[in-house]
Amino acid sequence: MAGEDGQVIGCHTVEAWKEQLERGNESKKLMVIDFAASWCGPCRVIAPFLAELAKEFPHVTFLKLDVDELKSVAEEWAVEAMPTFLFLKEGKLVDKVVGAKKEKLRQTIAMHATAAA
Amino acid sequence: MAMSGFEGFEKRLELHFFGDDPVMMDNNLGLRLLDFESLEQVLNAVQCTVVSAVANQYFDAYVLSESSLFVYPTKIIIKTCGTTQLLKSIRPLIHYACNLGLTLCSCRYTRGSFIFPKAQPFPHTSFKEEVLYLEDTLPTNLCYRKASVMPSKITTHSWHVFTASDQSHIIPNDHDIYTIEVCMTELDRALARKFFLPPGDGSRSGDIAGKEMTKVTGISDINPRAMICDFAFDPCGYSMNGIHNDRYSTIHVTPEDGFSYASYECVGSIFDDDIEHFIGSLRKAVQVFRPATLSVSTTCASHEVWPRVAHALEPLGLKCRSCAADEFPAAGSIVFQTFTARRK
Repeated sequence: MAGEDGQVIGCHTVEAWKEQLERGNESKKLMVIDFAASWCGPCRVIAPFLAELAKEFPHVTFLKLDVDELKSVAEEWAVEAMPTFLFLKEGKLVDKVVGAKKEKLRQTIAMHATAAA
Repeated sequence: MAMSGFEGFEKRLELHFFGDDPVMMDNNLGLRLLDFESLEQVLNAVQCTVVSAVANQYFDAYVLSESSLFVYPTKIIIKTCGTTQLLKSIRPLIHYACNLGLTLCSCRYTRGSFIFPKAQPFPHTSFKEEVLYLEDTLPTNLCYRKASVMPSKITTHSWHVFTASDQSHIIPNDHDIYTIEVCMTELDRALARKFFLPPGDGSRSGDIAGKEMTKVTGISDINPRAMICDFAFDPCGYSMNGIHNDRYSTIHVTPEDGFSYASYECVGSIFDDDIEHFIGSLRKAVQVFRPATLSVSTTCASHEVWPRVAHALEPLGLKCRSCAADEFPAAGSIVFQTFTARRK
């Protein structure tokens, strides 16, 4: 989906999330999922940086999930501290970054994005 | 002793608020609702920037360019080193809190003795100046105030305290909570060297280097249950926040020889039945640095915690040289102890 490249996509329902997962499985693209909360200060700190990374890595899918909106998904992936960034490839968890850690985030994306579709 | 260098000794500010608007307090988030722009304004007043951060359901924890910030719904703690003008954060914080329906009900300001006092800017040029500034800045509803310098036999370690409280919060609401502030000087040289970035092009400051330092120095073993946010500075220096439930711990290191310094701060509850864990963590933290001199300030509404400090440190070859105690509004009792390594 050309229009979505370079943007962080917000998922607000379980259906939207499941749809994105399926799309990710098929495309074999790296998926970076940002679990955030409206009340989480550190999540707000890293948001602009994440948007920059989305532009820098257009072949990676960036999703943003609100842990209150999608409680079941957050629980399923055992998200406790925030922000939590999960890295999925073909439905499998390949890495995780917990906290607003700019360098670690960029390094992890670069590392897993190399085998992009 | 160097003529000048980076000031490791921090200034620490703790502000408590209360909200009497039931609608505003409904979501229980209070100060955590402060938007990032407002937070940046506060930090700009103090000349710090956020380098790393993490949050959980209880609070937000930030590692700053010069120390740490913790934001709870009704409590904010800022600890800064160097030549930051920490007290300048009070006015903007009161202003933003007011917009959220929150009123300041207590204030606690503490610090050790600066290694380079002449390098400090206004109002930190002297404790007298700091007290005057606080008296001037704090709203009148904080009518119970006390300022004191707690002495010790070691001239480089004394403890400056200013607290203020309104009528209802002289005895803190969270009276079971205690705070331990440890200040360490004359760090073991070999251990301090671990807080320098390794030489070479590949080495850069940041959270990745910070994580490596946390592991290599044994800081990760202090509290294995904590979620850690760490940062290594260029060419040397280190900061970390550890969070676990509603508790934080924080370590800051200035490793340069001649003015080496490290701080360890943690909170606990007198109702914790895991007192061995507290003693173990304190021991491990001090062993990371093996300082020649250290001071510990224990703030608690009751008197059961401070005796455990000497008990924790004496087996490490540290001898208690002094112990001073005093009572302060909003803080309860503050006990200030100093220790030196027996080998000296």
